[in-house]
Amino acid sequence: MLSWEFPPRTVGGISAHLFFLSRELVKLGVDTYIVTCDFPGAPEREVVNGAKVVRVDSYKTPSPDFATWDSLMNVNMQKETAALISSLGGQVGIVHAHDWLVANAAIGLKHVFRIPLVATMHSTEIGRRNGLHTDYERMIHQTENWLVHESWRIICCSHYMSEHVRSAYGFGQDRVTVIPNGVDASVYEKEFDRAEFRKRFALPEEKIVLYVGRLVYEKGVQSLISAIPKVLSRVNAKFVVVGDGGMKEPLMRQVANMRLAQKITFTGFLDEESLRKLYQVADVCVVPSLYEPFGITALEAMAAKTPVVVSNTGGLSEIVEHDKTGTKVYAGNPDSVAWGIARILLDPGYANWIKANAYQKALEIYDWTKIAKETKEFYERVLKEYDDGSWKPT
Amino acid sequence: MRVIILTWEFPPRIVGPLAYYVNKLAAELIKKGVGTYVVTYHNSWVGSHQGADGIKAIRVSDVVRPQINILTWMLSLNQEAERVAADIYYSMKHEVNLIDAHDWHFVPAAVTLKRALGIPFVFSVDSIEPHRSRNSGAPLSLSIRSIESLGISEAAKIVVKSQWMRKELQQYYNTPDDMIEIVSPDSNIWMDGILAAYQKSLKVLVS
Repeated sequence: MLSWEFPPRTVGGISAHLFFLSRELVKLGVDTYIVTCDFPGAPEREVVNGAKVVRVDSYKTPSPDFATWDSLMNVNMQKETAALISSLGGQVGIVHAHDWLVANAAIGLKHVFRIPLVATMHSTEIGRRNGLHTDYERMIHQTENWLVHESWRIICCSHYMSEHVRSAYGFGQDRVTVIPNGVDASVYEKEFDRAEFRKRFALPEEKIVLYVGRLVYEKGVQSLISAIPKVLSRVNAKFVVVGDGGMKEPLMRQVANMRLAQKITFTGFLDEESLRKLYQVADVCVVPSLYEPFGITALEAMAAKTPVVVSNTGGLSEIVEHDKTGTKVYAGNPDSVAWGIARILLDPGYANWIKANAYQKALEIYDWTKIAKETKEFYERVLKEYDDGSWKPT
Repeated sequence: MRVIILTWEFPPRIVGPLAYYVNKLAAELIKKGVGTYVVTYHNSWVGSHQGADGIKAIRVSDVVRPQINILTWMLSLNQEAERVAADIYYSMKHEVNLIDAHDWHFVPAAVTLKRALGIPFVFSVDSIEPHRSRNSGAPLSLSIRSIESLGISEAAKIVVKSQWMRKELQQYYNTPDDMIEIVSPDSNIWMDGILAAYQKSLKVLVS
């Protein structure tokens, strides 16, 4: 598997995805290698839960922009992976790429070794940017297009993404398999002093409304900030915003202008352990995204037994059924967001019903063992087609 | 011997003198009995072509358009060059002995083919980034230098056309003297020099 991030390097959701997926694939007997970017302090080679991790020089000479850096990083990734596959006598069944960031390396490796390439499309440039506006964005879009067309089969984490990817790049339904992202509920079962931990973020009489995610437009965090006065007029709460991003400064200014600074905490990036605890002590977790291919934060909250308010968009719509496993609100509508939050905070019976259903769903549908099994079956199907075909070198 | 030449310019695509040079080189190699493929670029799909001189040219084209700079452009084309080179390799029952990469443009492909398939490569240097770009501290230029540097460290041999270029490579890239073969295209022993450099490269063990 090729990915630009793997723990401890964590930029987006792919890092955790690979951590759990590789752990479970290994348990199913899939010999799994992960080639990823280096990270300060992380070894060049290590075995993580049975998966062999190779970290390559992620290219540190100054480069003009992110996409050019990525191309250069791919030169190193391809070179090192070629050496790795050679050292294994070419006996690698599948190259699995995660997002466009590793497209160059993955496509080159496919051809030089004639190994089938598959890709998981975690998100798309069209979705991230809400359209394509510049040559830079169009180039990334076309790189994604290239990757999906070079891939034998595609994995998407939701039906929404499957539909979106097919219309964005134009190909048939039969090439896409939907395998959801997963969650490990056991990480939210550790005992700790909740009251004490809670004090770090809120007064005892304040309910905690949690947001976790990058502070960028597509995540809709601005709808949550705008909803705050409406929520506060009905219930006393503290808004805890975890994550970082380009909108942090403007949002903080907005909060100051609203004279609400004492009701909101911007934590920035939070360490994993604190975040897990925070999920557990929160009274409601809000995912107000405008664009959401999957919605892992909603799932994490559900696994942590915290009721969720989500916008009715993308993958979130599939994870959450309204009034059963969460409360759905209109995307980009602060009044609707405020209504959803107050509904959960003011009706403990409703909140308990939601979180019990949601927890059950997280366990049943989004279990990593089940996901890895589906992924292994997906690999086996591709390998069968490959073996039956004429592209395989003789 | 079977050689794949990688070059970003080849007639009818002519950027500078390199196109003519590579054309002549390929024609002469064929006369010497070397199986010669030229993998190059054209801005529209023209497929493969065998001319009267016996040169088999395969032109890859853009898989990703638009591009934002020469690096993102060339680095996506490298995968296409790899695809074509690998197709030759597999259709020739693995009998491709050498890659000859001209200038930095297809160095990443040459490096990957070496690591993946054990085919050594010659890095033929016609010009280098420190000469092309006077504003050589710019990130784009530094990035191109890093590709040239990769070519120098991974190549079996580096072929230059003059004593002057050898000195330049030593100055800018600390290139070891014994890595460099000077073969002047103006001399009457040009092809002997090229073939000797190729033979030496074949003896370099690919790690």
